[in-house]
Amino acid sequence: MAAERSTAELERFLAERADHLLRTAVLLTGSREAGEDLLQSAVERLLRRWRRFDGDPEGYLRRTLCNLAIDGYRRAGRWRQKERLLRTGPWQTQDVTGDVDLRDALVRLLVRLPARQRTVLVLRYWEQLTDAETAAVLGCAEGTVRSAASRGLTRMRELAGDWNDTAAMCGPNGKRS
Amino acid sequence: MNTDVEDLLREGMERFTADLRAPAGLTRRVARRRRRRLALRSVAGAAAALAASAVALVAAGVPGAPVADASVVQRVDGALSTAEPAAIAQMTVTTRTAAFPGEKAVTTTAEEWSYGDQWRSVTNTSAGRPVYDEGFSASSVYTLVNYPARTWARQPGLGRPAVPVPAPRGCAPVVAAVPLLFRPWLPGFGSAASSSPATVARTLRTAISCGTLAVAGRQRVDGIEAIELTSRRNSLISETIWVSPGTYLPVRVVVRSAAGVPVVQQTADITWLPPTARNLAELTVPIPAGFRQVPLIEAVQPGLQSSGPGPLPKLKALCPPPAARCPGTGPAFPAPALSLFRVPPL
Repeated sequence: MAAERSTAELERFLAERADHLLRTAVLLTGSREAGEDLLQSAVERLLRRWRRFDGDPEGYLRRTLCNLAIDGYRRAGRWRQKERLLRTGPWQTQDVTGDVDLRDALVRLLVRLPARQRTVLVLRYWEQLTDAETAAVLGCAEGTVRSAASRGLTRMRELAGDWNDTAAMCGPNGKRS
Repeated sequence: MNTDVEDLLREGMERFTADLRAPAGLTRRVARRRRRRLALRSVAGAAAALAASAVALVAAGVPGAPVADASVVQRVDGALSTAEPAAIAQMTVTTRTAAFPGEKAVTTTAEEWSYGDQWRSVTNTSAGRPVYDEGFSASSVYTLVNYPARTWARQPGLGRPAVPVPAPRGCAPVVAAVPLLFRPWLPGFGSAASSSPATVARTLRTAISCGTLAVAGRQRVDGIEAIELTSRRNSLISETIWVSPGTYLPVRVVVRSAAGVPVVQQTADITWLPPTARNLAELTVPIPAGFRQVPLIEAVQPGLQSSGPGPLPKLKALCPPPAARCPGTGPAFPAPALSLFRVPPL
């Protein structure tokens, strides 16, 4: 049986890794506020079992972040469907400005992807996990990870193509040239 | 393109999150959040358990029926938010000062009205005679009538109601929320507005929304079974507020200085009036016939030097020098009102 861990130990771990985990959470949720909230929820779960926790806290937190993000997306799914209908077009006009390049646009587009695709892309391109590691985090088959990543990237490419076309038509301030 | 998008996505993620830093003390924050949620859950559970019986008991008007904090606090806050700008708040404030060796405790009363930014305050001696009548009109003019000196003064721009000072750090001490009822000396430029019913309503709202008050039960006040809210045990000033079970508006507030300092108690009975022409007329300070107009400072000073036929509360009685701190004169008390105020020789 594992020896009891002290809260100070958790604090030390978070002092080292919380920034990175917050970034993961922000990428999973799309905003700083939601990311902080997600991270706090995950840390809270870890805190509850910390004294007898026997394992890799970062792995546990990463897995919890992903699961909570996917669950949160499922819950918010109906609203997002309605929200899409309220939008005038596939793009929010403020994204199409000279100040926002394709890299930013792609990250912002993550929020539009289905939860699992998005999570897979974050784990793969941010956390640099292999398909096998990603599958272990999400508790699914490697094939599922590969297909989710493939569909996610395809969607990103489509969106990137649209973005390039739109950007080409617009001036530096997002106005049509 | 495949690699391009993947690289761009990777770079984009780096850039998007480059400046993000986790908040300091994350573990403590999380622990606090957990405690708060557990507390909320227990309140919600208690509220749910009590809901049916409480509703039935309230409807039946059973005295002493338990009422869940959260819903009462929410309703009081909502009622104050609605009533404070829309209704005229009339308040009778009775101040009982501390008794010191060789002196008697003094009780004075004040009648106050407020409506939006307008307010009027009439302060009486313990014998019930008016000493000062002051107010701030809709046209932003401050008027002061000094009855003992038979003078009056008018000054544009003074006396605008003070914005309640935000409570420090999550409104921990209740003294930060409701110190403004303590206005034992008279008059002050704008200090009356500090204790106007509207200001009290705002500060009460702060106290209520900050959770510094808890439901203590029910008590009969002016013929109604009012809901009693009291300050929590560790508060610096003890206060009790009774709210109407029908309107959820405060009908009485009692503030008492903390243990260990001379006892000063103020009781404010509050009536919420519709803004009819008759009620609005109460906001106007009448100038009695034969009174002489003087500069404002003159209207203030003589009154301070001769306290009139009845004993006025003296500063000494409330703030014994040198070290004892007068309740309500801490950082939350509007400093300009005090600094402008000239203290007579004691």
